[in-house]
Amino acid sequence: MQTTETSCFNMIQRNFDQLILTATAPIQRRIFIEVRPGDHRDLASFLLSQNEYSWLSTISGVDKKDSIELNYHMSIGNDLVTIRTKLPREHPEIQTLTDILPGAGVFEREVHDLLGVKFLGNPDLSRLLLPEYWPKNSFPLRKDWDPSSIANMSCNTVIPIQTDKKTKTIEKLVRIVVGPQHPALHEPERFVFKVDGERVVDVETRLGYVHRGIEKAAESMTFLQDIHLVERICGICNTSHTNCFCSAVETIAGIILPPRAKYLRMVVTELNRIHSHFLLIGVAGFELGFETFFQYSLRDREIVLNLIEMVTGNRVMSEFNTFGGVRRDLTPETIAKGIKELHKLQKRMKFYKEFLETDATFRMRTKGVGILKKKDALRLCVVGPVARASGIPIDIRKNDPCTAHEDLPFDMIVYKEGDSLARFQLRVDEIIESIRIITEALTHLPDGPYRVRVPRRIPEGEDVARIEAPRGELIYYVKSSGGIYPERVKVRSPTQAVLNCFKPVVKGSYIADIPAILISMDPCFSCGDRMGFIDINTQKHWVRSTQDIIKTWRRGRK
Amino acid sequence: MMDIIDVFRIVVFPGFVFFLVLVMFCEWFSRKVFARMQNRRGPTQAGPLGILQPLADFLKLLLKEDIDPHQARRSITFLMPLLTLSLYIYSLTYFPWDGQPVIRNSGFEGDLLLLLTLVTFAHFALFLSGWSSRNPYSLIGGSRVLVQFLGYDIPLILLAAAPAFLSQSLSIQTIISNQSVPYILVIPWIFVIFIFILQAEMEKDPFDTTHAETELVAGYGTEFSGKKMAFINLAQDFEEVFGAALTAVLFLGGPSGPVFFGVPAFWSIFWFIIKILAVIVLLEFIRAMVARFRIDQVVKLNWRYLTPITLASLILTIWAAPLLANYILFLEALL
Repeated sequence: MQTTETSCFNMIQRNFDQLILTATAPIQRRIFIEVRPGDHRDLASFLLSQNEYSWLSTISGVDKKDSIELNYHMSIGNDLVTIRTKLPREHPEIQTLTDILPGAGVFEREVHDLLGVKFLGNPDLSRLLLPEYWPKNSFPLRKDWDPSSIANMSCNTVIPIQTDKKTKTIEKLVRIVVGPQHPALHEPERFVFKVDGERVVDVETRLGYVHRGIEKAAESMTFLQDIHLVERICGICNTSHTNCFCSAVETIAGIILPPRAKYLRMVVTELNRIHSHFLLIGVAGFELGFETFFQYSLRDREIVLNLIEMVTGNRVMSEFNTFGGVRRDLTPETIAKGIKELHKLQKRMKFYKEFLETDATFRMRTKGVGILKKKDALRLCVVGPVARASGIPIDIRKNDPCTAHEDLPFDMIVYKEGDSLARFQLRVDEIIESIRIITEALTHLPDGPYRVRVPRRIPEGEDVARIEAPRGELIYYVKSSGGIYPERVKVRSPTQAVLNCFKPVVKGSYIADIPAILISMDPCFSCGDRMGFIDINTQKHWVRSTQDIIKTWRRGRK
Repeated sequence: MMDIIDVFRIVVFPGFVFFLVLVMFCEWFSRKVFARMQNRRGPTQAGPLGILQPLADFLKLLLKEDIDPHQARRSITFLMPLLTLSLYIYSLTYFPWDGQPVIRNSGFEGDLLLLLTLVTFAHFALFLSGWSSRNPYSLIGGSRVLVQFLGYDIPLILLAAAPAFLSQSLSIQTIISNQSVPYILVIPWIFVIFIFILQAEMEKDPFDTTHAETELVAGYGTEFSGKKMAFINLAQDFEEVFGAALTAVLFLGGPSGPVFFGVPAFWSIFWFIIKILAVIVLLEFIRAMVARFRIDQVVKLNWRYLTPITLASLILTIWAAPLLANYILFLEALL
């Protein structure tokens, strides 16, 4: 079942000898294969058939000035196979993968948005991250794109938001707009639910309200500055982002981490996971109207936040990882105190486990709600806790560890039910596992340096790094052209993959189930500057920039 | 002709001013109790222990901008919060705070029914206010108000009939005076269901589906701001005190208490408020312990379980009335 990288590599070479242009396997579990456009479909469907647990991680596009390079990063068992094709820059067109793997749609939309690649056969190539008023032929991730062109952009264009004229039945339904601002959401994101009474008939999602262009910004900053930039992609899982970015750059530069640094990175990543999961189960209580549970779990989360502060010096933005290791060492006193505090937390976890297993009202609201079937989860490329709650045993900490996870024993938690309750229970179990991992790591912390020096100039090369962030597989594709600036940094945060499954899961459920389902997927729309207006009289929808609003506001004040 | 004492009774004590102070105090108390149950501190800033926080909140909302939705029926959205509030204030005047109703001799045989009817009207006003503001959240919130209250008003009235049956009267005065032993000791099963249904009547967890923040923002009240919101909030506080006072009257013996000397009016109010606070603690405790039901679960719970149980327990009470009369005599002797 589990393929090793050599056998997978040989197998591809054996079967696709004619099609392969180049094929390399630079390091363990990484395979790069270049094919002509069109052949990628055969290769992808072959790879998907090789392993039951295989999915498309993301598609990263690179503007090579003479051509546009597409990298399909596919996770096949433990291996990460990158299928590469080159498209002409003038008319970049390629066949879609959505008919083979429906989950590829969202990644194709992103590449279409930012690089202007047309995916033939993809039914939905609407805007994913960029605003609707963005000019049709302006692609921010192309190298010749001028950022100052934003200043001249007209933002007052009237854009009709999709209305259903095809079927009259839909028009009779009530449209409930949730977001960009709504008490159930903690970050801006827009859902339009069409409801019939209390039942959800359909949902439209719109991402990109906080799209800050970090991938573009990363290209104009040095590698060292980029660590701090990617840390700010997400406040909650910040160490995961730096950890992943650093390990990609370290692989390119050929740096081997000292063992102590590996352990310390893992400790902070796991602490991060605990505080993220705690926030989630607390918020779940709040969403379900169980405020007491919310207050309790946030109080216990303080223990973890204090620990993070003790280890890294910061409560949230830890600024801990850097190239070649970490930025602070642990003293024996902090280790002793940390183990003591974790022991306290371990005891508290019994309460949470028992609560989820026994509380009648909480279970009434979550059991059997928002069921994601294993088959659908695989088709839609769902990762992380959501996939594990649907019975898919994928955990990058087990499959493809880049920190010290391979040295330490821990259990991968898998639930078969696939409902909201399973997703919450899974998180509580993962917190318990994480506490175990950290305690183990702190007691057996290897001696030695916690950091090695890394030159500022990173040699030419590329790497795909991935780690298990609290929300699932986080993947970074970094390409260096041998300077102090990266040529391309591609980030695929787990939420992008997980939100694929929101629409099919939420259809047919009650309005009251929406928060229970959404929050059980732990979305984090960390990726703006605009607002939407709807005039009910004229049914006109338009989008305006902040500047316009400030202008009208000032006019009103005078 | 009303004399000066009547005017004083209506305006100051135990009338309007007293109600406002009592309601604000009860809101502070319930917020504090709820916060302590949740491991929080509750209001601390305004006044000692934050006791002036409800007043501060109310004044702040009064001073805030009052926004009317574009398409809303202004008359209805404006009137309904006021109507709800005044219905609850009027209902409170029937309780014998210092031994007799606020308007003296206004109590009559059947005023219990009048109060329960007024509460139903108040809920209907809430529905109308949500419906008239033309916001999708309010529409759904308003329709949920109807679904929930049409279901729960019936069991509430049925349950209120049990103490009335035992005391052979539908007048609040007589129920209290005939209640030689608090009915909570005589018919505890009715009391338990009554508290549960009261929770639903007051839209608190697990029955706060009508303004579930994470689903419907603020339900029927989404479009309320400024003064309208101040009045709606105050009306909800009045509702909580009304519910607690009704429970105290029907099951806890109202203003009568074990220690009673000197000025009877003082002790009446003292015991009445103590009982009201006890009921509030109970209600807040339920609220802190449960998650919100889904609206279909609320409906199912009501029609499939609560209404039949209510009917059965009422029939049980009527059937066992002779036994209960002996039991009351026994309890009287014991106390």
